[in-house]
Amino acid sequence: MVTLPKLNELGFFEIRLESIGGLGANLAGKMLAEAGVTGASLNGVSFSSYGSEKKGSPVKAHIRFCDNHTNIRDTSPVERPHVVGIFHESLSKTVNVISGIYEDSLVLVNSNKSPEQLKEKMKLLGGTIAVVDATGISLEEKNRTNMAMLGALFRLCDFLDPEAMKSVIRKSLEKKYPQAVGPALQTFERGFNEVTFQTFELPVGQQMPAFVRQDTPMLGYETQPMGGVITNPGNSILKDLSISRAGMMPHFADDKCIHCAACDNVCPDFCFVWEEQPDKKGRPQMFLQGIDYQYCKGCLKCIRACPTDALSSAREEDGYADEHRTPHRFDLAVH
Amino acid sequence: MSIDLSKEQAGLAKVEQRVVYESGNEMAAYAAHQINYHVMGYFPISPSTEVAQFLDLMKSNGQHDIVLIPADGEHGSAGVCYGASTAGGRVFNATSANGYLYMIEQMPVQSGTRFPMVMNLVCRSVSGPLDIHGDHSDLYYALNTGWPILMCRDPQAVYDMNIMALKVAEDAEVRLPVLVASDGYFTSHQKRKVQTFANREDVHQFIGAQPPVGYPDTLDRNNPITVGPYMNEPDYINNCYQQSMAMYNAEHVYDRVRKEFADLTGRDYPILDQYRMEDAEVAVFLMNSASEIIKDVVDQLRAQGIKAGSIAPNMIRPFPQRAIAEALKNVKAITVGDRADSYGGHGGNMVNEIKAALFTHGNRDTLVISRIYGLGGKDFYAEDGHNLFQFAIDAMNKGVVDKPFDYYGHTPGDPAKSPKRVLKPMKFEDLKTGLITVKKDEETGKLSVRIPPLRSLTKKPKRIAPGHGACPGCGIFSGLELFFKGIEGDIVALFHTGCAMVVTTGYPYSSHKATYIHNLFQNGAATLSGVVEMFWERKRRGELDHLNLQDDFTFVMITGDGGMDIGMGPAIGAALRNHKMIILEYDNEGYMNTGAQLSYSTPMGHRTSTSNIGSVRAGKVFHHKDTAQIMAATHIPYVFTGSEAFPQDLVKKAAKAQYYAQNEGLVYGKILITCPLNWLSEDELGTEIIDAAVGSCFFPLYEVEHGVTTITYNPDEKDKRVPIVEWLKTMGKTRHLTKPEHVETLNAFETEVERRWKILLAKHENPYL
Repeated sequence: MVTLPKLNELGFFEIRLESIGGLGANLAGKMLAEAGVTGASLNGVSFSSYGSEKKGSPVKAHIRFCDNHTNIRDTSPVERPHVVGIFHESLSKTVNVISGIYEDSLVLVNSNKSPEQLKEKMKLLGGTIAVVDATGISLEEKNRTNMAMLGALFRLCDFLDPEAMKSVIRKSLEKKYPQAVGPALQTFERGFNEVTFQTFELPVGQQMPAFVRQDTPMLGYETQPMGGVITNPGNSILKDLSISRAGMMPHFADDKCIHCAACDNVCPDFCFVWEEQPDKKGRPQMFLQGIDYQYCKGCLKCIRACPTDALSSAREEDGYADEHRTPHRFDLAVH
Repeated sequence: MSIDLSKEQAGLAKVEQRVVYESGNEMAAYAAHQINYHVMGYFPISPSTEVAQFLDLMKSNGQHDIVLIPADGEHGSAGVCYGASTAGGRVFNATSANGYLYMIEQMPVQSGTRFPMVMNLVCRSVSGPLDIHGDHSDLYYALNTGWPILMCRDPQAVYDMNIMALKVAEDAEVRLPVLVASDGYFTSHQKRKVQTFANREDVHQFIGAQPPVGYPDTLDRNNPITVGPYMNEPDYINNCYQQSMAMYNAEHVYDRVRKEFADLTGRDYPILDQYRMEDAEVAVFLMNSASEIIKDVVDQLRAQGIKAGSIAPNMIRPFPQRAIAEALKNVKAITVGDRADSYGGHGGNMVNEIKAALFTHGNRDTLVISRIYGLGGKDFYAEDGHNLFQFAIDAMNKGVVDKPFDYYGHTPGDPAKSPKRVLKPMKFEDLKTGLITVKKDEETGKLSVRIPPLRSLTKKPKRIAPGHGACPGCGIFSGLELFFKGIEGDIVALFHTGCAMVVTTGYPYSSHKATYIHNLFQNGAATLSGVVEMFWERKRRGELDHLNLQDDFTFVMITGDGGMDIGMGPAIGAALRNHKMIILEYDNEGYMNTGAQLSYSTPMGHRTSTSNIGSVRAGKVFHHKDTAQIMAATHIPYVFTGSEAFPQDLVKKAAKAQYYAQNEGLVYGKILITCPLNWLSEDELGTEIIDAAVGSCFFPLYEVEHGVTTITYNPDEKDKRVPIVEWLKTMGKTRHLTKPEHVETLNAFETEVERRWKILLAKHENPYL
């Protein structure tokens, strides 16, 4: 019989995974939960944020573990996690990924940054930051990020047996994809082994911030226009979608561009910024100015469409997008 | 009952049980596969869709014999089920929300003609602004349909109720269709430990291996029957009386069935679930998932010395009136939470039925507080449960209810954060560039279109703003904007339900810079017809003069291939009426917004979540729909196909489409677009995959102008014909077709593509074809 390290007042050990759709957090959460419930004689419940969230959009997975005598009644999202697993470091730009953590919670981040840097980035007051370069590992092992994250999560959830998980991975893959077994196990193993930890004590006199319920709306019945009508056309320009990029992005080389608009024709996210300028003969003509990375989801269709080398793909590096962004010049109603 | 998986309880079962860790939808499907229904007619809608998906997956591996019929909409699925149930076998369905309302006229037909079946209602909001999350507003519509309704608080109950439901439905005293209701997402998508019968034989032992005989059966050739006669007064009321009797019988039949079930399994579901009610002074009534959460609250209040309890029905049709009155006879105050409003009814349906129960059984003392909560999937936290109890405690202490009816969990909002306009409206002169010209040759009647180099068209503002939430590499938006590059001036757009709608209008954001309307995806063509005709009539009456419109609007309806399945009828209706509008279909070969189920446009052999690849069946079993030809047969002025892989071709067709939609009548166009997520293809390859689809002649580019077909790109002539396999191997959903074991399917598909291409070539050659 395994013992859960911490329990909340209802008897649950709670885990929340923060990710963007497409990185496999849902599957990782499912496997983690099953490892506890069917593999470790715990009871539990697991679910993901649901709806029409698409690939690249922020998603959450929720897992509650308890012993076999605890009644499971709660269906509300995990607001006060003992463990948070963050699959995409940049998420903290737009999502409060550490919402509701305790001062002794474990926060696992897929990153190659130091715990200090991440503490700063996430504005964490106290808690233990665990770092694993899951993206790096998965690229090296030619496997999926979620396997490395799953390995690391097993390290954090030391009441679960990583060997049992490995045999599940083996069993689920060996029949259909025997060649995938080795890399998957290696990725899991490295995720498990390569986690580094650093604990930050909550400064004396400070309190952990209270959580804001996930079902808190932006507007209300006094401020929301009647009938759900949106009277603010095109206000989605306020959104920052850069977190949807899962590692790759296009680079633009102005000097190689022939301004043919092939990229503009295929871009699903309207990232190309054009301006009318006089051409060599002084006639007005459209010229591509650059990419508005705020909306680029990194699909790289533009690179395939580009008949020259003006567009190329590159691993996303911190700061590049901000530095090289050509913002759209919207006709704003408010300045 | 809440699940308690301690070994002692599992030991109570008399027949072997096994434990699985699954969600509510998985358990509904699991029960159905054990029952081995004869027929399931279905149509995908969140959150119930998974039920059909799981059954399809099992079917593809030969795990059951249920004939799964993907209907053309929920109305169709209800029809399939009705027909099947008259024909003597066991019938199953699952739906939610708008899907349920779309089939609702069939519900009293099914119950009023007394054909048993079982349907899962995975409860979800029915709404104006589209909410896909869970509440009971669809369920409340079911209250008057004449179907007994069983309630499921967790995945265990979904499994158990599904098995009991059939036995109740088929009972001689009942003979009614039964609805099994669980909470969308909270129950349908949360995984729990669930006990199931280990052996199908034990399930059959319980329900009966075959449906009972001796009832009307439309396949009994020796006893011809007339089902559904024309029956007015004075007979109809007697039919209703029979039905009413059967409905009330369902209560004691259920009670008997649940006792037998409890005896077998140790899991008991009394008609009214009571938690710590023995000496309760205050109580809360909630249904399904929330009624579990409230038990934790009861425990906490009891620990504080408050005599709290909770009740929740396991059956609401028939309504357990006596049991509720009995349970509340010593309760001083109760808060009744309704997860749906009965607008204007001074309370939701449940609170009013509970008040009626108290009144009928002589209880004038218990104070009743009504609260509407948790609408549209708004979460229910233990904190909320405490607040609901507090209303009852306050009433008990004061001896009076301050506010008998209210909402709970609604928020006024901060005036400082009220919406402020971000963008100015697009300027007409920017949209009417003059770069595109369409002229009609008065002699030949042909249109000549001139478009500039596409570079120049980047000057035109995009109709859709960036910031929408589509997946990386989604083909919808590049396709739509390329089309819009060919449209000059103002548009009014109507989007059917689907990915394009969902990702551009997530409240409070909108990516639509021009005016946009959503309507449910069986009805967009009719809806836009209404807008179009209102425009022309108001223009005629001079009511739009003040706007100084420089040009007429171009009305564009955007739909996916799903919308052209369920909405085929209204689209044909609009076409036959020839309204001045464009219907543009983005075809990604499946119902992608609900999780990649097959559409009629999905080609043969392609894998979707309802055409799985298994050991006994691989991919879709029938050919793709030729929507362009169907629409061409309505003899509208202009039909076209296009793709982003051939941008000039698409822009020219858009320009023509606009001409016809402003001057003559309805235009239908189909663009094939990629869905990398569900085609299991690389994001970056989108344009090339479509190019190959065109090059293989699976998706020929052509137009039908006043009935005359012109192929606008002929890969044979250009020596660019691509073997179909080259296209299929670019996508994970079709890669299996390149393997020898699927060669038959591949050949059938190739033959069909070639046959349709040859027909098109013939039409291209002959203006009268």
